[in-house]
Amino acid sequence: MTTKDGRRAPGTLEASVMAVLWAAGRPMSATEVQQEVGGELAYNTVQTILIRLHEKKTVERRRAGRGHVYWPVEDESTAAASQMRAALANRPDRHAVLQRFAASLDESDADLLRQLLGVAERKRGA
Amino acid sequence: MRLAVYLPLLLALPLTLAARPMAARGRPGPAAWTLSAVALLAAACSTWSLVVLALTLLDDVPPLSALDNHPAIELPEPVPGPVALVAAVLLLGAAVRVFRAVRLRITTFRDLRAVGAPDEAMVVADWSEPMAVAVPGTIRRRGRLLVTTGILKLLDADERRVVLAHERAHLERGHHRLTAATAVAAALNPLLIPVRDAVGYLVERWADEDAAAEVGDRRLTAQAVARASLAATTRPGTVLGIGGGVAVQRVRALLDPPPTGSRRRLIAPVALGVVLLAVVTVITVEFVALAQAWI
Repeated sequence: MTTKDGRRAPGTLEASVMAVLWAAGRPMSATEVQQEVGGELAYNTVQTILIRLHEKKTVERRRAGRGHVYWPVEDESTAAASQMRAALANRPDRHAVLQRFAASLDESDADLLRQLLGVAERKRGA
Repeated sequence: MRLAVYLPLLLALPLTLAARPMAARGRPGPAAWTLSAVALLAAACSTWSLVVLALTLLDDVPPLSALDNHPAIELPEPVPGPVALVAAVLLLGAAVRVFRAVRLRITTFRDLRAVGAPDEAMVVADWSEPMAVAVPGTIRRRGRLLVTTGILKLLDADERRVVLAHERAHLERGHHRLTAATAVAAALNPLLIPVRDAVGYLVERWADEDAAAEVGDRRLTAQAVARASLAATTRPGTVLGIGGGVAVQRVRALLDPPPTGSRRRLIAPVALGVVLLAVVTVITVEFVALAQAWI
């Protein structure tokens, strides 16, 4: 894993941190972000990334206790969403040329998938 | 010439029949590359066949007959006129389909590249629809990930790592080149549409395997695919990659042990490619001889 991380393209770590902040939906401290991102990133790395993101005005922050809490700037993402919607909504032909993570399915597939998901979760939990 | 010229039109069929079994098991990478390369070759060969057939129309063109030095000699007439005409019409259809397919890809990716700040490796769109998309770069720009808040909020921290790893794998391995090649091949020769869909499925499987290797957990990867796909059920009219059940097949494959590479299943498509090249060589040599007879 560490060698893999060492070869990562710039921006990958920023992406992971942004994903955490967006998913949380509330301001987070650097410590909280580090816990959510997973053990692979050191606290100082997370702190550096957050400061860089703040300088780029991708996240906002305010003082909280001895440090800061951070949250994503919403304007850019709202604008991005309307651009993305305009490009993709009601355009099945365009969806077909994309590499998308979530595959589409019909109802019988959905039932089958719920069963498989049960299997996956049980085995992971065990 | 009489028979050989029609062969490349039919030789797409065995590839089409081989595509699904090839996609169903084994390592996805080698299968995706082989299928894409042979599909492109098969499409080029069948198009060349159509070109040769259509060009035989020219011997009926009046100016050419006037130029004929030996009007008394019966010229070889290897292709019936109506067949040549049908070939010309099919060629025209192929040209229109290629134009449409290429334009669709260009405009889709251009519009998605315009989303958000230009230099970000990942753009987050505040949209409830759970989506994560890899947008390939250009010569000047790196590729990027486009994810919605919908998918980020849906998944937990571990599952999000899977999504990001999966989409990065698409970009790093240049999967869009394979899907573009097979899209063009299928536009040139619609018999290859199942091959295009098989390659579309294989690159998803490939990125799944890469993601599973990066997070070191196949079940976690399966779980992320399943949950993201279940949440996306409601979208109507979406075109499926390989008929129904793409998500189910991807999840099943991830719950199985890692695929091992059996290169033997690649022999048949490669052999088909060699046969195609041989047939096309014969056609071309004969066509050149024929053209010289006319002139």
